[in-house]
Amino acid sequence: MTSAIKSEPFILNIGPQHPSTHGVFRVKVTVDGERILDAEMVMGYLHRSMEKLAEERTYTQNIPFTDRTDYLASMSNNLGYCLAVEKLAGVEVPERGQAIRVIMAEFQRLASHCMAVGAFTNDTGAWQTPVMWCFREREKVLDLFEMTSGARLTCNYMRIGGVAFDLRKEFEPAARKLLASFPPFIDEMEELLVGNEIFLTRTRGVGVLSHERAANCSLVGPMLRGSGIAWDIRKADPYSGYEKYDFDIPIGYQGDSFDRFIVRLEEMRQSVKIIRQALDGLPGGPHSTQVPLALRPPKGEAYARVEGPRGELGYFVVSDEGPSPYRFHIRAPSFINLSALREMTVGGTVADAIVVLGSIDIVVGEVDR
Amino acid sequence: MTRTMLGDEIASHAERLVPGSVARAEAGACFLRLETLRETMEALRTDPATDLLHLTNLCGVDYWDHFEVVYHAQSFDKNQLACIKAETYDHDAPVVPSVTPVWFGAWMQECEAYDLLGITFEGHPRLYRIFLWDGYPGFPLRKDFLSMPGGLQPGLSEFAGVAPRQEPPRRAVQ
Repeated sequence: MTSAIKSEPFILNIGPQHPSTHGVFRVKVTVDGERILDAEMVMGYLHRSMEKLAEERTYTQNIPFTDRTDYLASMSNNLGYCLAVEKLAGVEVPERGQAIRVIMAEFQRLASHCMAVGAFTNDTGAWQTPVMWCFREREKVLDLFEMTSGARLTCNYMRIGGVAFDLRKEFEPAARKLLASFPPFIDEMEELLVGNEIFLTRTRGVGVLSHERAANCSLVGPMLRGSGIAWDIRKADPYSGYEKYDFDIPIGYQGDSFDRFIVRLEEMRQSVKIIRQALDGLPGGPHSTQVPLALRPPKGEAYARVEGPRGELGYFVVSDEGPSPYRFHIRAPSFINLSALREMTVGGTVADAIVVLGSIDIVVGEVDR
Repeated sequence: MTRTMLGDEIASHAERLVPGSVARAEAGACFLRLETLRETMEALRTDPATDLLHLTNLCGVDYWDHFEVVYHAQSFDKNQLACIKAETYDHDAPVVPSVTPVWFGAWMQECEAYDLLGITFEGHPRLYRIFLWDGYPGFPLRKDFLSMPGGLQPGLSEFAGVAPRQEPPRRAVQ
């Protein structure tokens, strides 16, 4: 007797209000039983049209906007935008300013990866304990940001030509104290999760992406490196003096969710290494060059990119010699990383789709802009 | 350090791979003809001399009378970045061939350019308004957005066609 049970595909909405979408993001999945047949992304709930708003404001006034695109990595966004404008206007940054930028961008990577790792473990079902541990460490980084820039989340610290303020004298001891406590925390997280059978079963072989597909889908950052391509803008196209620091690029082999997770953990270790070197060799001198407030860069266009926590973060700025950018485009890594979501989820289960989405590490402020 | 390819260099490669595909070359960018855009991109991607495996950035720029679509593609092995452009002078209905069959990563970026600038990418599997809702008046990143038919009027916060908000009744001065 053949099976008389028939199933019909039906549509299931994940989000927009769902804890595992990390914001207001919606995935419309068509499921047949437990298997996903199709996944459609619906986004734009947080669209604020920053690119249009930026065309009406001066170059300096646009810096706070960049905080609010990727609100978990405001320092990296500030840095990318300032680099693009500096490239356009031909502004040189003093050495001390560059070193401070590197320190801040790497601390930002630590904070952002803490959040990414914590939220990812939360998605796999390690309910709340790891995420709270990660939040505890992230708070300490945010305390340093508060000490330096006065803000914890949207720092608005970098300026065109340098940084807004010099480091306070309390910064270095506090930073060194934090750096001393960070590697044990990373080891602890690794021991807690990598030795856990449930975590491994939930993440290994889930959302596998070959390196050919990863490159063709324009993926960047830990997504690309998790698939086995050693590509890091800090090494490939060094900016702000990254060529002076010694660090490694971790890569994965399988291209699954676990590899992306482990790449992020290892990157945190490398960030600690970079910050140590930058603090040791922190040069004296000015932290910023004087740039006219109403900056009018010469006619032209510039594309500058940095390696943000989520990957290559690019700013494309076109100037028409006016006080505000003629065109301001953000190459948002988590937006473009989402283009592989469909092919990673189709064929899997709904529970795996949550893990895959967690491993992409989206920030919806940046997806929608 | 990533080597940024010069416009002439990209043009010579493109001309070698697909003859007659280059419109003109600038210092830092190469303009390709729309008719052969996709096959030129495919050739530039697979050719070992250019090896533009990874499309980094795709965006459109409105220059009042024409649109430019800017592609930044890079090679991992050769560590080089190329800026390729396509331009269309039909400002009312700009159409550019889609490069999604070449680089799948263009899928969402082309949707974004369509949504915000109104550039139609011919051959895209599914072009839809990715951020804004269907029926949104006009394309916000266009320079003439405020004077577009059905668009917002400067100084008003209502859409055309929607009844304006009633002003609160004023009390006569006693």
